[in-house]
Amino acid sequence: MKRFRATLLIVPTAALIFFFVILPYVTVLLMSFRAPADGQPYGQGFSLEGYQQFFSQPYYALSLPSSLALGMATTFVCLVLGYPIALHIATASRRWRGLLYGIVLSPLLVGIVVRSYGWTILLGNSGVINSSLRNLGLIDRPLPLMYNNFGVILALAHVFLPFMVLPLLSSLQSIDPAIAQAARSLGARRFTIFRRVTFPVSMPGVQAGCILVFVLAISSYVTPSLVGGMRVKTTTLLVIDALIDQYQWPFGSAMALILAVTAGIVVLIFARLTRMKWT
Amino acid sequence: MRIATPLLALFRTLVYVFLLAPIVVVVLASLNAGNFLTFPPQGLSLRWFWTFLNNDIFLNAIAYSATLAACATAVSLVLGTMASLYFTRHAGKHAEAVRIAVLLPLILPEILTAIALLFFFYEIGVGTEHKIALFTGHVLMTLPFIFLNVNTSLQGRDDSIELAARTLGASRYTAFRRVTLPLIAPGLSTGAVFAFIISFDTFGISFILKGTGSAPLPIQLFDYLRFNFTPEAAAVSTVSILMTLVLVVAADLLFGRRD
Repeated sequence: MKRFRATLLIVPTAALIFFFVILPYVTVLLMSFRAPADGQPYGQGFSLEGYQQFFSQPYYALSLPSSLALGMATTFVCLVLGYPIALHIATASRRWRGLLYGIVLSPLLVGIVVRSYGWTILLGNSGVINSSLRNLGLIDRPLPLMYNNFGVILALAHVFLPFMVLPLLSSLQSIDPAIAQAARSLGARRFTIFRRVTFPVSMPGVQAGCILVFVLAISSYVTPSLVGGMRVKTTTLLVIDALIDQYQWPFGSAMALILAVTAGIVVLIFARLTRMKWT
Repeated sequence: MRIATPLLALFRTLVYVFLLAPIVVVVLASLNAGNFLTFPPQGLSLRWFWTFLNNDIFLNAIAYSATLAACATAVSLVLGTMASLYFTRHAGKHAEAVRIAVLLPLILPEILTAIALLFFFYEIGVGTEHKIALFTGHVLMTLPFIFLNVNTSLQGRDDSIELAARTLGASRYTAFRRVTLPLIAPGLSTGAVFAFIISFDTFGISFILKGTGSAPLPIQLFDYLRFNFTPEAAAVSTVSILMTLVLVVAADLLFGRRD
């Protein structure tokens, strides 16, 4: 009886996840094998046309490697920017830690549309950066900061930086400061301590942060469309275009699954290369 | 070696500036008196806030988003707390499976979950009318945040004080209300604030499942930004930033743990 009552606690959530997450994902898988049709989202019967359409047209097929490259570049920028910050917060005094932590988390409290919009104000041709440089007489014509990969990577790195810093921080905080002190007293240089002690111990955080940022970056829609201005074509943008604007549900689903599977493979290779624990 | 330290400090400062810059710039842009987003601004003015206050589209969108967020948070509070009680006290060897299942909406890419829900609701004949799909999506997005925060409150505490209350004659309901609820109150309030903000700001779910008619604020703002460049969007964004800030500060003052 007691066990039965306890099980009731999880039933509503289990039902919610089963009916509205697991079944819908199965629907996407089935949808990708359905036949296309004119005038309606999908037709009768099953076919592989969605997958063929993706790989036979370079416009779509080539978006895949460029999306993956965009995701990797964003991940790399986040790691380079995030690591010193995480290290700084992990070793900061109690008083400073709260404030710095707040700065890192602040982008999360502002919607993704607003943050991307902020970047368009900064990077636009008559934006803050270009106007300032022109007024200082440093440039004659605006630098191409937006509507290209540079702007999209910069804005994506900003949007997802907290997701890199948080896992890094939790793994860095688990390091016993006594280890570094011991290495120091044995004559190790600071860079040696970083290379031989701090970085290896923080590896789980690096792995978690990189995977999180990579997956978030390649599946993002708002930032590439606002900052890229439809001139940076990622697979996610093409998926939404096929599903919402062109009503080609089987094709859109096939594209989404191709992207998800490829991203999964990239994550697995990354985990293998960095000798992640569960591989 | 000695040169490296100030260089690193400079780099860190630049990253902090980088984190805050786009948000600060939006707030400053909303005070621009000019017709377009120009820099340096053509004088300071609150005229774009006035324009915004007279624009029903954005006001309705804010009201709609707030209502949606409040309803989704309410449902998630009940479901998430129940799931958390099960996870921390009764799950036993299934604990890891329960945790992953509840966190699935957070782990899976939001836009893919949204597409999956669109197909699913279409297949069962409901579609995106009646906003049921949209609401379900928002509950899914907010649930993990309640679950995680209540878990933090419950972890390391078994149900022995509830059992003590029951032994002393309290009904199941009284034991929950007088013992368990105060215990998880900090987790509930932090979780609710998180959930509300996530629902208020989420894009993918709302974008795909909004249906026809009124749309949540992020969607309305996104549509506006694709074709307009006036500082009005900055004023709307500033109001939404301020709302979030007020919510976080109020929650911290009311429920914040002092240590």
